[in-house]
Amino acid sequence: MTNGLLFFAHNNPEIDYLKLACVSSSMARYNLGMENITVITDSNSYEYSSKNLDVEKYIPNLILADKDQEFKTRNYRNYRDTNHTVKSLSFYNANRCDSFDISPYDETIVLDVDYMILSDSLNNCWGHKNELMLHHDVKDIQSKREDSWRRVDDLGITMYWATVCYFQRTAYTQSFFDVVKHVKENWPFYKELYGLPGTLYRNDYSFSVAAHVMNGFQSEAQEQLPIEKMYKTFDWDDIHEINDVNDITLFVEKARTNADFHLCRWKDVDLHIMNKWALQRHADTLLEMYYE
Amino acid sequence: MSERLTKALEFANYRLTLNNQIVALRSKVQTKLIHSINGGTFTISRELITFVDSLIRQDYTEEVVLIDNFQNPIMIEDLKSFLEDITSKYFEVTNDYHSEFVKLRKARKVHKLLDIEQDD
Repeated sequence: MTNGLLFFAHNNPEIDYLKLACVSSSMARYNLGMENITVITDSNSYEYSSKNLDVEKYIPNLILADKDQEFKTRNYRNYRDTNHTVKSLSFYNANRCDSFDISPYDETIVLDVDYMILSDSLNNCWGHKNELMLHHDVKDIQSKREDSWRRVDDLGITMYWATVCYFQRTAYTQSFFDVVKHVKENWPFYKELYGLPGTLYRNDYSFSVAAHVMNGFQSEAQEQLPIEKMYKTFDWDDIHEINDVNDITLFVEKARTNADFHLCRWKDVDLHIMNKWALQRHADTLLEMYYE
Repeated sequence: MSERLTKALEFANYRLTLNNQIVALRSKVQTKLIHSINGGTFTISRELITFVDSLIRQDYTEEVVLIDNFQNPIMIEDLKSFLEDITSKYFEVTNDYHSEFVKLRKARKVHKLLDIEQDD
């Protein structure tokens, strides 16, 4: 049986996702003791990131995939670097639904590159009785902020996060990913049917629909990861400093304010950091700290 | 703004940071108290430790099935070793919780709460 991690990293004009994947890969090697790490990227991202970085040094298994150009030109989202800066940029997330087909491992954890592995908690997944696990119980590190992300819409189904997803190579998980692909290919229909907000294609939504469909249209029936919760910050927060290994201080926006922050020190618990610029600013420090 | 009001606002910021750090610390404790074995997941609690201990006292020590957090039946081959593992992890986490908690309660300024170096 082989266990491994899978990341997808496709750069856009401002975010060097492949560099962030190098950071994630280094953190996974350090905290999880993993060497089976695969990153899916494209030739343009590889060419750009390789100019300043020895990508192969950080990523044991790199796979180049073609981009769906039509998808790339239509899927744009707002990226925030705190509430002071908002930019609309291309968001290429089209091939995550192919995780089952691409993964070379018997057990896989597919992760976003902005999920900071600050502990060995993910090692709880390997050899688990549950063949597919992902989170719906997500907690903001600013404990007083509203949790409006519990459902895909006010009257919608439970929101599952595709940020971290564990799966085994079984018939059930293959069907799950087939449904995710089907939802992506018929996005306008499912968007209408499930009342999914906005125009953006999000894997969180297609995974949520698949979790709903595959569990007999029941809510919250798909098992969650064997971790207490997934903790997150929004893209209106920022990183103040990387203090040490698995120890960060963040600027966290206060509840019901706009760009008024307090500080939060976060240690030894994995954290989803949505502000990609913040991660980019500290990527070199993190690479130096975690790469052994 | 009067000096007294400025102090009050500073204190409000301190309280906000303190409360958030305590919540963050509790999150860390809950995360660290998760124990995996044989494909099962257990949250280490007083109840789990007491239950396992009572089984051992009744001579159920080998090949015992426990129900995990996911309601899956998990076979534990050696219950004594399982009890040792969860008990030592429990104390490791709660001792760490205690020392971090005391440190937070003693800190009276934001930079001390966060352990940031700054002149007083």
